[in-house]
This record gives sequence, C-alpha cells and structure tokens, in this order.
Amino acid sequence: MKRLLLHPLVARLAALVVGLVFVYASHDKIWKRTGPDPKTGELTALSGPAEFARVVYRYQIVGPSDRLPPVVPNVFAVTLPWIELVAGLLLLFGLWRREAALLCAALLVMFILSVGSALWRGIDLKNCGCFSVSGEGRAAGMGLIVGDTALLAASLLAARRRPQETRP
Amino acid sequence: MPEERDDRLRPWRPLVIVAAGAVLGLAWNQLSGHGFALAGNVYVKPGDEVVEPPAARERQARGALLLDARGTMFYEFGHIPGALSLPEEDFEAAFARLEPQLRRSLDVIVYCSGFGCEASHIVARKLKEKGVPAAVLNEGFPAWQEAGYPVKQGRQP
Repeated sequence: MKRLLLHPLVARLAALVVGLVFVYASHDKIWKRTGPDPKTGELTALSGPAEFARVVYRYQIVGPSDRLPPVVPNVFAVTLPWIELVAGLLLLFGLWRREAALLCAALLVMFILSVGSALWRGIDLKNCGCFSVSGEGRAAGMGLIVGDTALLAASLLAARRRPQETRP
Repeated sequence: MPEERDDRLRPWRPLVIVAAGAVLGLAWNQLSGHGFALAGNVYVKPGDEVVEPPAARERQARGALLLDARGTMFYEFGHIPGALSLPEEDFEAAFARLEPQLRRSLDVIVYCSGFGCEASHIVARKLKEKGVPAAVLNEGFPAWQEAGYPVKQGRQP
C-alpha cells in the first residue's frame, strides 16, 4: 500500500484531481454574471464575486464586524477564487506541483476550520460557497468536512517529493 | 544532487501564487465590469435606506414601526420594545397577518441579528415590492443593545 501511494503516478493523479476541483470551484465565483439563475430562473441581482462576498459574510469570520469593515471580507472574496484558479491550473499543468499542492492543502485546512467553526457556532450555511455561490448550492455540514479532508489527503499526496528510484 | 534540487520546495512559490491571485482578483473586480465596490456592504443594494440605532429610536418615538426579521425564537428571547415579529423565513404568512398595520405605517424599519445577517435587507426589499417602503437598522439588534437601548423578552411587542 505504501509503495503504491509513493508511486509517482499517484502524486500526478492526485495533483490532477485537486487541480480540477480547485479550477471548478473558482468558476462560479469569478465568471458568474448578473441575470436569471440558470437553474431556478430567479433573477439574481449580484455577480459571482459579490454573491461570494455574501457567503463569506455569513461565516462571520473575516467580518464584517465591529472590528473588521466590509472591505476585509470583500477583498478576501475577490481574491480567494483567483488564488484557487492559479493554484488549480498549476496543478493541472504539473508546474510548481509541490508548492501549489501545499497551498491547496493550506486552503483546505482553512475551509475545514471555517465550516467546522460555523457549524460549532450554529450558523446555518445553506450554501457553503464551495462551488456554486447562488441558489441552493451545497449546504455546509459534516459531509462537506469529510469531502474536504479527502481532498486534503490528495493534496498532501500531490505535494510529496518524487521518490529517488524514479528519477533519471 | 541536481535531482534533489529540482524537487526541492521553494517557499517563495506559494507566496507568488497568492500574490498573483490577489492581483488578478483585484484587477478583475476593477476592470471586468461586473465587480463591486469593495468598501461597501454587499447586503446593501442601491436604493436601500440604512439607519443607525439613534435615528431608529428617534423615528420609533415619532411613530415608526419596527420589524424583527429574525426567527420567532430569537424574537421571544429578546427584541426591541414595540417591534413586531416578521420572520424572513415565514415572510408571506407574517406579511398577510400584519398587512393592515404595515399599510397604515408611514415609516417602517427592519432589523435582524447584525453583521452576518441578511434577513432584514431581504424583508425590506420584499416589503418594498409589496408597496411598503422600509429602512434597515444598521448592524441590527446587537447595535441596538450596544447603544444601551431597552430590550424586551417574550411574545408581546
């Protein structure tokens, strides 16, 4: 089993999976435009970045609060999807694989802690903001934490150093 | 060994990825045409009226009707004296019940549980659609409490 996990192809495959998930996760938060929701037909007044900022507010971690003005969660919401996209693309193309995978792992730890903390504080997150930012989306729950933990394991596999014997 | 150097972790690379993402994100927000104002609260849309607790209290003293957009459990646990319960999750039924009173009110202010809460904004917008203009109490019930204004428990307004 250990030999199998150490196989370079496993790290490559894990990088592809994590890369795909991160690129997909960034899509709606970056590209969604204002207009009717394709699924519900409901008119959405906000674009993807602003919708994602709404989701970030609901977590009540980076504000807005009496200490943190709206600019803090807004900048977070505007930049995080692009960090996901850049890291995801690097993993897909196999560039800076170890560092991009470690960054994805760090982001996943942040997501797991955020969702866990929201659940702990009794915040009802109907949409976790993981993939879709509007409509129903995916609810934040234990299932999400399990999924993120599996993805975290994949990121750490992708971040592994290439084994000696496979090098030319 | 050269192979080891190739596969070595470079700590600056994650920083470059974060910086590149941040620059792209901010530039996209600025230039794409569907960004938003970073300084403002995204819950507040153009046309929304937001009032601070002292102004809300003054308006209530002059006859404004305050509405609590949180769930009934929160209302019973503590609400602004005189405020009626109009939970966002039960908007249609609660609106039907309160409609005559709402139509009579010339000034309506909605609140919920503060920063992370959007219910007051949603209720104010739904009221506007029904022809009842409503303002939103900035930072909601916690701001009211923090201002040292009275709070009442139970089902009675």
